Amino acid sequence: MKKFFLMMTTVVCGLIINLSANAGSVESLQSDYQVQGAGPFSAAAGETMWQKEYLDEKSGKQRSCQTCHGKDLTRSGKHARTGKVIEPLARSVNSERLTEVKFMKKWLKRNCKWTVGRECSAQEKGDFLEYLKGQ
Amino acid sequence: MQLKKTMVWDLPTRLFHWVLVLAFALAWATYKDSRHLGLHTIAGYTFFGLLMFRLVWGVVGSHYARFREFSYAPKEVLAYLRSLLGSGIKHYIGHNPAGAWAIFVLITFGLLLSVSGVIVLGGEEQQGLLAGKISFDQSALFRTLHELIAWTMVGLVAVHVTGIIVESLLHRENLIGSMFRGTKWVSGESANVTSHRLVASVLTVSFLTWSAVSLNGYISATEAQPYQPFKGPVLAMNELWNEECGACHLAFHPNLLPARSWQRLFEQQADHFQEDLMLDEATFNELTNYALMNSAEEKKTEAAWKIDRTVKKSETPLQITALVYWKDKHSDIADETWQREKIQSKTNCGACHYDAELSTFQDSAMRIPK
Repeated sequence: MKKFFLMMTTVVCGLIINLSANAGSVESLQSDYQVQGAGPFSAAAGETMWQKEYLDEKSGKQRSCQTCHGKDLTRSGKHARTGKVIEPLARSVNSERLTEVKFMKKWLKRNCKWTVGRECSAQEKGDFLEYLKGQ
Repeated sequence: MQLKKTMVWDLPTRLFHWVLVLAFALAWATYKDSRHLGLHTIAGYTFFGLLMFRLVWGVVGSHYARFREFSYAPKEVLAYLRSLLGSGIKHYIGHNPAGAWAIFVLITFGLLLSVSGVIVLGGEEQQGLLAGKISFDQSALFRTLHELIAWTMVGLVAVHVTGIIVESLLHRENLIGSMFRGTKWVSGESANVTSHRLVASVLTVSFLTWSAVSLNGYISATEAQPYQPFKGPVLAMNELWNEECGACHLAFHPNLLPARSWQRLFEQQADHFQEDLMLDEATFNELTNYALMNSAEEKKTEAAWKIDRTVKKSETPLQITALVYWKDKHSDIADETWQREKIQSKTNCGACHYDAELSTFQDSAMRIPK
């Protein structure tokens, strides 16, 4: 009996640690941005920038986050050039989203460059994450 | 003169003849479209098996089926052909000398056709009995031979059929019907031929079993689970590659472009088709290394081999769709087809090629979705 409780406690503790680590990863990235002087973060500001269109001078086309991720974040999007399916960004339907710091950092960097034409500031990235957290 | 209905062609000989015709016809109907390579191969093996049977039956079979019975010297063939022009044509119960020679030549070419086919299958596809034993380069010669022999066969069949028709008219007898019924109207002495039903039954059961086994995959295939008769070689995969490249498009395997192309693509990673890949040094090194070690030059698949030999050494193509080989292979696909809901892009290899992610691109592993 004792053994069983010990086992259960270990499993439950493990689960809690695991869950909090997942829940915390987006916050920990945001706090990194705060260390860099950004914050507080606004979901509204993130949403505005998310929907804003930027002109790409080379192609002459407007680009926005929605170009690839689509208007509805609970549905899958499509890569603008290759047409490859991009899984939904909303964590209400895709639990894998906002769970890995390295992944978030990489794509915030690359996709800002493609869409906005420059890397985003810590404030902007924090706002994006604040907006995405509520999806 | 009294004509007597006499058995000339025993049942195994007739079965051999007509199934051989069917097998050849199937092989002919399936050779052009490489999607049908599986069926072509089944037809080929059937053809080969039948010829092997005929070789045995030519020794132990009934009287008129034996090779000894219709081995005529060349001068007898000439005499026979000359007699066709004049009167007094000699009537043979079994094969006449010209027909007999046609049979020997057909069997010889049939065997050459089968053997060259197995060699091409082993070399070009790395499948079948000789898989791994013949290189892609070696198979090229046999591919040409296989085609030449096949066309010669068609010519020989034409001669054979013409001969049958001419003789049928000259002798006022239905030789094609005889090959079905086995009997001819014969005057005078003839050898005693039985049907050999037991051998015919064994032949039939073997054929039906082989058909069921070899065609089973096609019969049980569904739209969702199509039959793939051939599996390609297992290629070296790299998790990081699949993750990095696969984020935006099919992680095209390095075997689809020459090493110099990959080199150039990685040098230009900051402007990768208008995207900055931003690969860190460790990632960059691992991916470059993997690409260079597994490029088209390694010739691990038929596609890689053909890409390698068709890209001009002076050129460095940066897109697979820009390859001469790719363009040639996809030239008959209409623009409208590319627009289809399930395809949409020329980079969406997996829409038609079931083994796109494995990058083996087997001939038979593709269907264009509606």
